[in-house]
Amino acid sequence: MKRYSLLFLIFIALGLVSCTSDFEEINKNPNAIVKEEASARYFITDPQYRLFAPDRYPYWRANLIHTDRYAGYFTFGFNGCWWSDELGYSYSSGYTDAAWGWLGGYFGSIDNFLKLTESGGDFENDLMHATGTIIKGLYYQMYTDVFGEIPYTEAGVEGIVTPAYDEQKTIYQGIIDELDAAMMTIGDNTKTGEGIDDLGENDLYFGGDLTKWKKLANSLKLRIALRAYGAPGADFAGTAITEALNAGLFLEDASDNCIMIKDDVISQWSSSAYGDVWHNFGLGSNWHVGQPLVDNLRNNNDPRLEFYAEPAAGGVIDLIRPAEDPGRSLFDKHVAFVTQTLTDAGVAFIETVDGDTVTIDMPANLYYVGQPVRMGGDVYSYIRYEFFSEPAPEIIAKKNSGTNMWDEIIMTTAESYFLRAEAAVKGFSGDAQALYQEGIRYAMRLWNVSDGDIDNFLATEDMALLNGTDEQNLEKVSIQRWLACYTDGFEGWAIARKSGFPSELTQTLTDPEIYGLGDINGVYPERLRYGSNVQTQDPDNYGIVISRQGPDRQDTQLWFAK
Amino acid sequence: MNLNLNTMKQKLLLIFLLLYACGLYAQHTVTGKITSAEDGSALPGASIVVKGTTQGAVTDVDGQYSINAPDQNDVLIFSFIGFQTEEINIDGRTVIDFSMILSTETLDEVVVTALGISKEKKALGYAVTEVSGADLNQVKESNVINQLSGRVAGVVITQSTSGPGSGSRVVIRGNNSLTGNNQPLYVVDGIPVDNSGFGSAAGSGTANYRRNDYGTGISDINSDDVETITVLKGPNAAALYGSRASNGVILITTKKGSGKKGIGVSLTSNLTFETPMILPQYQNEYGQGKDGNIPADWNEFYTSTGGSWGPRLDGSSQYYYTSENETRPYVAQPDNVEDFFRTGSNFVNTIALDYGGTNSSVRFSYTNTHTNSILPNSDLKRHNFNLRTVASLSDKLSIDAKATYFKQEANQRPSLGTEGIMSYVYYIPRNVDIEDLKDYQNDDLSVKSYQKESTGNPYWILQHDVNHDSRDRFMGFAKVNYEFTDYLKAFVRIGTDRVSQGIESIEQYGHWFYGTGRFSFSTRTTAETNADILLMFDKDFGNFNVAVNAGANKMYQTYESYGISGEDFKIPTKPIVSGANIINTPGYTPLREKKIHSVYGSASLSYSRAVYLDVSGRNDWSSTLPKDNWSYFYPSVSLSFLINEIFGMQNNVLNFSKVRFSWAQVGNDTSPYLLDNAFNLRGTTASYLGLTILTRPGTYYEPIRPEQATSLEGGLELSMLQNRLYADLSVYKINSEDLIMTIPVPAATGYSSFHTNVGKLTNTGLEVLVGGYPVKTNNFTWDISLNLARNKNELVELIEDLETFQFSSTNAGNVVVQATVGGEFGEIWGTEHKKTPAGDIVVDATGRPQASDEKVLLGNYQPDVSGGFWNKFSYQGFSLGVLVDFRIGGEVFSGTDSRLDASGVSKRSLENRDGIVVDGMVNVGSAEEPDYQPNTLQITGQDYWGAMSGIASNYIYSQTNVRLRELTLVYTMPGSVLGSSFVKGFSVGLVGRNLFFIYKDIENFDPESSYSTSNFAQGMLWGNLPTTRSIGFNLNVTF
Repeated sequence: MKRYSLLFLIFIALGLVSCTSDFEEINKNPNAIVKEEASARYFITDPQYRLFAPDRYPYWRANLIHTDRYAGYFTFGFNGCWWSDELGYSYSSGYTDAAWGWLGGYFGSIDNFLKLTESGGDFENDLMHATGTIIKGLYYQMYTDVFGEIPYTEAGVEGIVTPAYDEQKTIYQGIIDELDAAMMTIGDNTKTGEGIDDLGENDLYFGGDLTKWKKLANSLKLRIALRAYGAPGADFAGTAITEALNAGLFLEDASDNCIMIKDDVISQWSSSAYGDVWHNFGLGSNWHVGQPLVDNLRNNNDPRLEFYAEPAAGGVIDLIRPAEDPGRSLFDKHVAFVTQTLTDAGVAFIETVDGDTVTIDMPANLYYVGQPVRMGGDVYSYIRYEFFSEPAPEIIAKKNSGTNMWDEIIMTTAESYFLRAEAAVKGFSGDAQALYQEGIRYAMRLWNVSDGDIDNFLATEDMALLNGTDEQNLEKVSIQRWLACYTDGFEGWAIARKSGFPSELTQTLTDPEIYGLGDINGVYPERLRYGSNVQTQDPDNYGIVISRQGPDRQDTQLWFAK
Repeated sequence: MNLNLNTMKQKLLLIFLLLYACGLYAQHTVTGKITSAEDGSALPGASIVVKGTTQGAVTDVDGQYSINAPDQNDVLIFSFIGFQTEEINIDGRTVIDFSMILSTETLDEVVVTALGISKEKKALGYAVTEVSGADLNQVKESNVINQLSGRVAGVVITQSTSGPGSGSRVVIRGNNSLTGNNQPLYVVDGIPVDNSGFGSAAGSGTANYRRNDYGTGISDINSDDVETITVLKGPNAAALYGSRASNGVILITTKKGSGKKGIGVSLTSNLTFETPMILPQYQNEYGQGKDGNIPADWNEFYTSTGGSWGPRLDGSSQYYYTSENETRPYVAQPDNVEDFFRTGSNFVNTIALDYGGTNSSVRFSYTNTHTNSILPNSDLKRHNFNLRTVASLSDKLSIDAKATYFKQEANQRPSLGTEGIMSYVYYIPRNVDIEDLKDYQNDDLSVKSYQKESTGNPYWILQHDVNHDSRDRFMGFAKVNYEFTDYLKAFVRIGTDRVSQGIESIEQYGHWFYGTGRFSFSTRTTAETNADILLMFDKDFGNFNVAVNAGANKMYQTYESYGISGEDFKIPTKPIVSGANIINTPGYTPLREKKIHSVYGSASLSYSRAVYLDVSGRNDWSSTLPKDNWSYFYPSVSLSFLINEIFGMQNNVLNFSKVRFSWAQVGNDTSPYLLDNAFNLRGTTASYLGLTILTRPGTYYEPIRPEQATSLEGGLELSMLQNRLYADLSVYKINSEDLIMTIPVPAATGYSSFHTNVGKLTNTGLEVLVGGYPVKTNNFTWDISLNLARNKNELVELIEDLETFQFSSTNAGNVVVQATVGGEFGEIWGTEHKKTPAGDIVVDATGRPQASDEKVLLGNYQPDVSGGFWNKFSYQGFSLGVLVDFRIGGEVFSGTDSRLDASGVSKRSLENRDGIVVDGMVNVGSAEEPDYQPNTLQITGQDYWGAMSGIASNYIYSQTNVRLRELTLVYTMPGSVLGSSFVKGFSVGLVGRNLFFIYKDIENFDPESSYSTSNFAQGMLWGNLPTTRSIGFNLNVTF
């Protein structure tokens, strides 16, 4: 009996442990999709939209807080706003890290598409791979223009955990080479394949039309080459410009505009729009259109003004002298600054002074007034919401509300004309004046300005004519390109850094009683700092970059702008 | 004849049975008094058992006992910790007084070890600490584990300061994993219990905006059911408990029926009141305003003056946030923060029924807990039902079974962090009356607070940030024991633990940040079933004793969850699924399974009860590993020498001495599904324009091997002067290698992290326990003990080229907590003042101090030394317990302090109120070519503190502190007073916990706070709830 019991127990024990037959089965995640269940086209959408319409965290922190403001398009800091306009100009690693985290983290998305479609990849397709390469070009140009040196040649290379950082020159040159290869691969093909092998609707940019992809590639090549042109050691740039011009393949009509329509129902935590910030945080999170933008439009009678912005609300506003210093003695200076801004904007307001109260009576919903950028904390009390213009309703449209939402700009036909005009002004081939005017025409059409108004502008405004010195003409081309990039702060900020225009934006500020000088002491920001984890995670590469590129600060000028 | 004989036998049998039955009914009662042979003092709490039965009794405070024995010739066994166990024949006597002799081997103590096998402590080759439930239960904490604080050397307990029902972080002998939870395995009555934290308590999110802590599993254990808690430190003690034991094991043994004949009833009631132990120190001289002003325009005042940067509070009539048309005297409200809290309470009532039969015992208990947090509207209710039966079915076969059901409902658990509730309390302007904030809502349902648009209102949060969770848990086991012979036994056991938690979280319409409302409803269920079989052999062969155990285990773990969230309510007051304009793709995790099969064995060999050698081995097969690596083995060896026995030393100076050594390995596996590099399909609300979108995960999964921790330990145990003084020392080194971790890597690799075997982490440490009885007389005993532990760890290696592993960072990014290769786990890095090469402070062009561009090492959150100092004074029926515990070293970053300064409410913000020209230099050159000139610009106090608060080094505090953790005064009524009344026992106590700090370095907070229990939320304070002080009563009645 005893013996049998023992045997029985041993039998149970063996039964307990012997069976591992279902181990593999239970360790398979039912929610994961394996290669056999997937197709390449489903992988292109993510890298396309995430580069231009990421989730709210970076959309807010990278685009809105940094690039759109540094580009002078938007500005914060009216009285009662949650955020001061010094934000960003004084480095905050939390905000900068969001930009770094997003742009750096984005790499895996495009790397995945390229690896899946490359020769030997799971879904080998060289035409799809070419489109991926062009997206990679868009990405790298944005990424390096924000931070400077970044990992490029060793990025995504298996076995390398801490990829080396490359000089901007290397990256620019590399992108141009990759774009050339992509255009060569596309050749005369018009689509990536049939059925499931056609990118089709999954391609948010061009619906799978390879002829447009090729135009984008060549236009992008010109943009990158022009940005490098003139920088130390950028010998390749002139050749690349000539090649691009000779190829003659550009975004050239309205149907070529590379824009991405917004998803107006998607969760803000997947893909964001300005409206997600504007409407969801209360009044305190709202912002105004920047003074450089409004001034440039208004001073040239540009018909886009009413499409870009709303008239200021106006009304009767009391400004009251504080009881205590330092605000008390600075009151007159602050009020004078505000009234001068209104005067400069052509506002017919009535100012009355009654003891310590200054009353400003401003006509309602009539004037376009841009808010001065980089207002300091002391002047806040007088930067009233009602004085300044909001962005146009479709820019800040709320999701799920039926309001039309402004598309994301990737690269416009207008820009490709301005680039060619710029090349012409710089001595390359082309009719600068004609290209410039075509640029303005397509830039205005994008915003639905009527042809009549466009023709009128082109015919009557000095701004529409490249009639000055090369330097003056370059300023006009730069400003028009900058205006055309409105809402694409990445490109707008890069244009300002490269060209120095608009100069009222890029000037160094000095008066701390009016302006928020930030921790870069009033200098125009030239880059963003690296993510705060780089220094600790990868100290070797960080050290190399600092010694080569300069201090990791926002006022360190990048190679392309030198 | 045969027939007659048979008849005879039958008759005899009948007579025998009758006699036996009579014996059952007419039991033999023995009474007496047990004293100490040394000084004749009564010994309360000594136990008396009738040999071979489950019948037993315990002496009262006067050493008196009474026991029923089935037969007048039975044998009684007298035992008491610290004394020699004796067997006495009753021999028909009805009174047996007995003097017990002090044990020469104090550590004759029997402790529960791995596998639930009891062993003499002296035989163990590794450190074990046991704490009795009686010691723990005088002062109730809502989490029983918190009561171990200060009692066990080498155990560091950090409570999450999320109020009642929140989790606790328990780390034994240092952190051995970067990504794992580093917390011990909890085993209740042999069954591992799930201790995972739902919500973000154990999460790896690095943001410090809002964190909710929904508690961890171990807080579901009812402390009234706990008999003992045994701490097995490190892998040595745990080699037989499987993979999960690499961080040590906490074994909890719950109460069985006492075995006393008949029905016993005991009632325990514990009522404590809680108040904040420590609140920030505030200034009361300046009120709401900015830069020394109150804006002349009410609108401006209301929108832009959240801080207390106004003019001096002079009692003048000034704007007040409540209305444009109202002014108030501009005066301080010194208690506006304190008055926000109510007196919390914790009311725990237990009724336990105890039945003892001849061959069985049953214990049933029900505990009701109702805890009111110090936060209005926040509470916790618990019900624990526990049924335990032990029965002998024959002289060989016995069964033991338990069923526990636990139900918990929590309301409005507070969230911590920069947007947690305390962030709307701590920084209220000094002149704002907290009563006014009770009017928290505008007519349009939006939040009404002291600053328009940009702040929440704590009362709104408590009423409208609905946060409700309910937790159901079933635990149970059935165990069949079979005794083949007196040296060979076996058991088969199956046990299960299933816990399900539903969480409802709603931000109502009008919320200051989610204005159109948001909700999330989710349910998660985990379950684990263990089947065990164990054979136990134990026999003496001459001077040798051989004990061999062999067993097998099959573990099956499952997890499933589903949840739905939405936002933008159609009807503002209806946060229901059909009322949301946006419904996110519902989350559903189908049943996720994990299996581990194991065989294990151990063998102990002892010679003359003086030398002990133990070896053990275990082989696991885990379903979560690649097929080639399913199986892994780990062994242990330990050796101990009892010096006195070996050298035959019998003296009164050194009564007992032991040295021990051990070496052990523990393997570990990972979680399910972490092998394949498959693709993810986006849900509807995350699909751009509704397109089919596939992505690859951010983590790259490499083929992995089981991880391994190796531990080496040595120890010395001494007992001297008739056991009046004892000491226990341990030194150890734990090497954790091949750790399976998800390591963040630079994004340029194409991934955010690699899941792989990495690195090496070592922990070395020293633990000391010294104690004794300075005074021990008839009436008065003073029992004293001190424990200390020092642990030092090093991250030796991560993965190639990678230097750091970051746990968390502040929203502003100015502080990170990380592990650095060559450095330690839990380093705090942050900015300091920017300095010129000459060492002067650098200010910006407006005269404000600047933070350094780079972060420097500012501290480490792990304490250097932790410990406790325990005193117990017993005088007749009274006993006074005093527990002081302490931490030395270790730092913490207080984001709360930084914000207190930035908002001008802290006492410290009085400095430089009237403006300051910072003694520093300003760079008038460029970044590349600096040119430093002396600063001449004056800044306001608001600007100064605004800048200072952004410099991390200003807010690093030492964790060093000494506190009076526990004070108990208990009176137990002597048996002589109770006499023969139907009340069998009565005690009443006055208890206090966290009474005060004897020393601390940080001014405004409890330095031991953390805002959740995971590795990823340590070393930083953001809007923590204050630690509470509790004072109350404890009542115990037995019938």
